[in-house]
Amino acid sequence: MRRPLLIASGIGLCLCLYGCTPNDLPDSPADTAYVPVYMSAAEKNNISLSTARITERSGKIYAYGNYIFQNDQNKGIHIIDNADRLHPRKIGFLNIPYNTEFAVKGHYIYANNVNDLVVIDIRDMNNPSVVKRLEDAFPYVNQQYPLEAGYFECPDPAKGIVVAWEVQTGKTFNCRR
Amino acid sequence: MKQLLSFVLLSVVLLAVVQCNKATSSGKFTGSGGSTARFAISGDHLYTVDKSNLKVFSIADAADPVLKNTVPVGFEIETIYPFKDKLFIGSTSVVHIFSVDDPENPQKLSTAISPEVIRRCDPVVAKDTVAYATLRTNGVCGGAQSILAAYDIKDLTKPVQKASYPVSEPYGLGYADTALYVCNRDGLYVFNISSAFSPQLTKKISDGWYLDVIPYYNTLICQVQDGMNLFDISNRMEPGLITKIK
Repeated sequence: MRRPLLIASGIGLCLCLYGCTPNDLPDSPADTAYVPVYMSAAEKNNISLSTARITERSGKIYAYGNYIFQNDQNKGIHIIDNADRLHPRKIGFLNIPYNTEFAVKGHYIYANNVNDLVVIDIRDMNNPSVVKRLEDAFPYVNQQYPLEAGYFECPDPAKGIVVAWEVQTGKTFNCRR
Repeated sequence: MKQLLSFVLLSVVLLAVVQCNKATSSGKFTGSGGSTARFAISGDHLYTVDKSNLKVFSIADAADPVLKNTVPVGFEIETIYPFKDKLFIGSTSVVHIFSVDDPENPQKLSTAISPEVIRRCDPVVAKDTVAYATLRTNGVCGGAQSILAAYDIKDLTKPVQKASYPVSEPYGLGYADTALYVCNRDGLYVFNISSAFSPQLTKKISDGWYLDVIPYYNTLICQVQDGMNLFDISNRMEPGLITKIK
C-alpha cells in the first residue's frame, strides 16, 4: 500500500517540477478540464455486494449460465438472474471500484479493479468473495496528468492514489500540458 | 487499423461460438461476451490487452491466475477477439493476428488486414468463412460512410469485401443462425443472412441507442445506452421484447 503512495508522491513531485505551469497560460484557463479522482488503497480494494440499483453508465455485457452481467462503467457489475428467461430481474450489484472489463469462467469473475486483476468466486451469488488479487496487473493510471492534452487540476499525492481522471467544470485549473 | 478493430469485434462474436465449443470439450463452461471486450478467455487462458501489451494468464487453476507472458503488441491497443485458433488484436492503427497454437506463447502471424478493407474501430463478427463488420464514421474512427459490410475470410489475413449496406451509426453486432443483429444509434436492425453476401434488412426496432449485442440461446441480450434490453429470439427474425432492465 505504501509503494503506490510513494510512487504517487514521486510523480507529484515531478509534476510540480515541470508538469504544472501556473500563471503561464496564454489563453484564459478553461472552465472544463480533467481532475484527478483519489482513493485510499482501502477504498480502492473494497469489493462488496449491494442491492440492485439503477444502471448509471451502461457498460459491457456478459452472459454466463443463468446469469447476465453488465458493467456499470467505473462502478462495478450488475447481476441479473435469468433463470426464468421471460422474467429476468436484477438481483444485486457487485461494487468494484473503477472496473471496466471482465470475463467469466466456471464460478469465477475475472475483473479489473483499477489496475489490479481480481478473481471473484460467485459460487454463492449472494456472497461473492475475492479469492485472488494480482496487484498492478495492468498499467497504472497516470498519476501526473490525464491522457488528453489541455488543462487539468494538478494532482496532490497527499490525497491518495489517482484512480481516474474525470471531466469537471466550474473550477480553476492550474495545470496544462 | 479500423479493419483490425472490426475484425476484433467480429472475433468477439466468433469467440462466443468458439468458447462454447471449447466448453463442451473441456467440461468447463465459459460465458459469452460482447464484441468489444478487452478480456478474452480461451480454454485455460485469460488474454487481456491494455494500451500496449497482450498478457496471458493461466487459469488452469481458475481461482489462481498466473501471469505467464507479456507480449508487447504496439500502442493504443483497443480490442481482443479470439477467432478459431487465432487472436485478433486491434489497435488504433493496425490489427495484429496472433497464433495461439501454443497458448502461452502467442506468435504474431501478421498485421495483414488492410485498413481499406476493415478498419480498426469496427465491430466484427465471423461465421465460418464470412465476416460482418460495422464501419462507423463519426467519432475518432473516421471514414467516409457508415455501413454494414460482409467479407469473405477464407484467407483470414486477406479479407475481401463482398457486400455493403448503408447504416446510419452502427455499433456492435452478433448473429444467430441466419439472423444478423446490428446495433445502431436509432435502434436494433435485423438482417437476414441466409445468403451470406447479400444481407437483407428485415426489421428495425427503433426504441433506443443500441451499443452491443449477445445472442444467447433464445435470448438476445442488448447493451443499450440506459441499460439492457432483452428479446426473445425463438423466432430469429422477429425479436420479441422480454423486458428492459435499467
